[in-house]
Amino acid sequence: RVRCGNPCSSTGGLASKTKTKKKHFIGQKVKLFRASEPILSILMWGVNHTINELSNVPVPVMLMPDDFKAYSKIKVDNHLFNKENLPSRFKFKEYCPMVFRNLRERFCIDDQDYQNSLTRSAPLNSDSQGRFGNRFLSSYDHRFVIKTVSSEDIAEMHNILKKYHQFIVECHGNTLLPQFLGMYRLTVDGVETYMVVTRNVFSHRLTVHRKYDLKGSTVSREASDKEKAKELPTFKDNDFLNEGQKLPIGDDNKKYFLEKLKHDVEFLATLKIMDYSLLVGIHDVERAEQEEMDVEGVGEEEEYENDGMGGGVLTGSFGTPPDSPGNPLNCGGFFGPGEFDPSVDVYAIKSQDGVVKKEVYFMAIIDILTHYDAKKKAAHAAKTVKHGAGAEISTVNPEQYSKRFYEFMSNILS
Amino acid sequence: MASASSLAAAIASKTKTKKKHFVAQKVKLFRASDPLLSVLMWGVNHSINELSHVQIPIMLMPDDFKAYSKIKVDNHLFNKENMPSHFKFKEYCPLVFRNLRERFGIDDQDFLNSLTRSAPLNSDAQGRSGARFHTSYDKRYVIKIISSEDVAEMHNILKKYHQFIVECHGNTLLPQFLGIYRLTVDGDETYMIVTRNVFSHRLSVYKKYDLKGSTVAREASEKEKAKELPTYKDNDFINDGQKICIDGENKKMFLEKLRKDVEFLAQLKLMDYSLLVGIHDVERAEQEDVESEDNEPEDEGESDGGGIGTPPDSPSNTLDSTKPLSPGEFDPAIDVYAIKSNDSAPRKEVYFMAVIDILQHYDAKKKAAHAAKTVKHGAGAEISTVNPEQYSKRFYDFITTILS
Repeated sequence: RVRCGNPCSSTGGLASKTKTKKKHFIGQKVKLFRASEPILSILMWGVNHTINELSNVPVPVMLMPDDFKAYSKIKVDNHLFNKENLPSRFKFKEYCPMVFRNLRERFCIDDQDYQNSLTRSAPLNSDSQGRFGNRFLSSYDHRFVIKTVSSEDIAEMHNILKKYHQFIVECHGNTLLPQFLGMYRLTVDGVETYMVVTRNVFSHRLTVHRKYDLKGSTVSREASDKEKAKELPTFKDNDFLNEGQKLPIGDDNKKYFLEKLKHDVEFLATLKIMDYSLLVGIHDVERAEQEEMDVEGVGEEEEYENDGMGGGVLTGSFGTPPDSPGNPLNCGGFFGPGEFDPSVDVYAIKSQDGVVKKEVYFMAIIDILTHYDAKKKAAHAAKTVKHGAGAEISTVNPEQYSKRFYEFMSNILS
Repeated sequence: MASASSLAAAIASKTKTKKKHFVAQKVKLFRASDPLLSVLMWGVNHSINELSHVQIPIMLMPDDFKAYSKIKVDNHLFNKENMPSHFKFKEYCPLVFRNLRERFGIDDQDFLNSLTRSAPLNSDAQGRSGARFHTSYDKRYVIKIISSEDVAEMHNILKKYHQFIVECHGNTLLPQFLGIYRLTVDGDETYMIVTRNVFSHRLSVYKKYDLKGSTVAREASEKEKAKELPTYKDNDFINDGQKICIDGENKKMFLEKLRKDVEFLAQLKLMDYSLLVGIHDVERAEQEDVESEDNEPEDEGESDGGGIGTPPDSPSNTLDSTKPLSPGEFDPAIDVYAIKSNDSAPRKEVYFMAVIDILQHYDAKKKAAHAAKTVKHGAGAEISTVNPEQYSKRFYDFITTILS
């Protein structure tokens, strides 16, 4: 009888590729979890393991209260075994596995696809630093973003999880809020790292050429010079206004978008959450076509930052048809310039017909884990000192924050 | 996601093997009567899956014989229905046993399926020293609970055992060691070893012997005889006038293997092993088939043998995907120890014969048993405390005799 698979010696090469232009992945039967860092190998191993475990746990009719307090924990201690690919000792904990499985289902993400995205090849590093230096990674296929968070963030997630889940049930997964897909704690060499996986706001294929992080506040809302020097800087509110940036999505799209936004920020206000942003990514269709022609066969792309990874200048926008392998969702025919599969790029909105500059916008809410009470204690004093009593500072209350946020966003859409 | 839970539950809890309407289970719940069995199923599933992510090396290295994989699970309010919340699973020398499985013609996926699609079945039998036996649900493999001393002995002999298997191309009557594990549940450690079943996964054994070639205390006790399938011994064999009627060619091949095997064992100073003999009576089986069509489930066979199945063959293993076999027929790739009776035999039979219980080392034994037996049987009696060399010769001679 045939033995199970000869290992592909090429997987080493594939796994370490950060270039995504040529996606010649063979359906890998042997996943080695090889990555540039042990923590990434463990993440791959862990997601592989937890999804496999879940496949042996029946899907319940409905979630129970205990599911929101549950976790699975596994500790590996190998000796002279499997040392090439993984650390010999590590731990992997998944929080509320049943809840996140249910959420993935509600967000129309198949567990096998999720697993493949995170395990077929190592997640890619992002150069950027999020708020507080949190680290970002993207799955190799750019469908998911993995953010390193603090233990306080984990605690806050637990606090809001039931209500978040209920909200997702009620809106049928149709929301601009982050799609939380998994929450893990990895331990290697005695160091604990917490990670949250969300759906990428940006496209897994179409490049984002310009990015904004908008809050609707005007204090300190400008990209620094250091930021502007980056390949894809994160611009902010003032930059947006000063540049006269427009988001011409048309009346129907605007109405639909704002309905969701209103519903979302009201929810956040009830939970006393604030300081979230609207992440906006802009794909310039013509520019992308030009880039595709310019760089056929050249160099590396950079990764982008903050929850939005559209892959780099060279990526997937070219997914020279047929589109990259892997997910069945990908085996659709091929896409023309500026086109997308709305079931994969769920946040994508085309610029309306008739505009000069054909664009695709990706817009969603990010960073929803700051709770007013926690924040109050820390930040209030500091900002008052810095900007004086009269300046408009971010330390409004959640209700005010949500209103101001919504107003700002409805004004910038047309 | 389809919920196969109720169907899977019904299937998983079935211990009756007569009607085998298994649906290819996508969801393996590892449900079993005993948490230890659930952990075994989970563990083998995990271990084979892990190995599928480890490249197969060109050859084994010395470190592979000292290696282990260990995993500790601590769940909280998760997956409580099927598994204990806290358990540990350790596999010894994973790469070595993967290599051995390959050399014994066993595909890892098939091995996995046999041990995980449905819970292993309890055996009533007690092996030597009251060891407990289970068989995989499809009866291809035997799972024996062993001591930590046995595990240590396995480690001592493993390199040489592996080398022996390489040299004889897996063609041996020695136990086919396929995996060794340590399970920890509720703080208790249990060591288990998986070997290929000596008996058939399909053909029933109606008479069983454990032969050593010694004559002292080699008779089944009254208690043993009362069992469904007693384990008879040397004296019973002789007194019963039992015959193993196999043709010249088979006998020659068998004895060649046996000789090499016992020489190897003697070199390693191992002794006190047995030849396990199981006899399938073709006519009797056909009769039983007819009778038990609607009856109760049969009992499992014991000690390294368990084999009652009705054609068409049970599902699952790819090795099985062929048509039904007629009475007394077998697939020699699965029932590797099976030998048909010759044409001149009084009854049409199939014999299953192989060496078992090879982990007793002379040095360990000497200290313990010698004094005790001398006292019991007197200085003149032939007692088992010969040395390994003598034991192997006596063993071989006895087996040669009974095959004539």
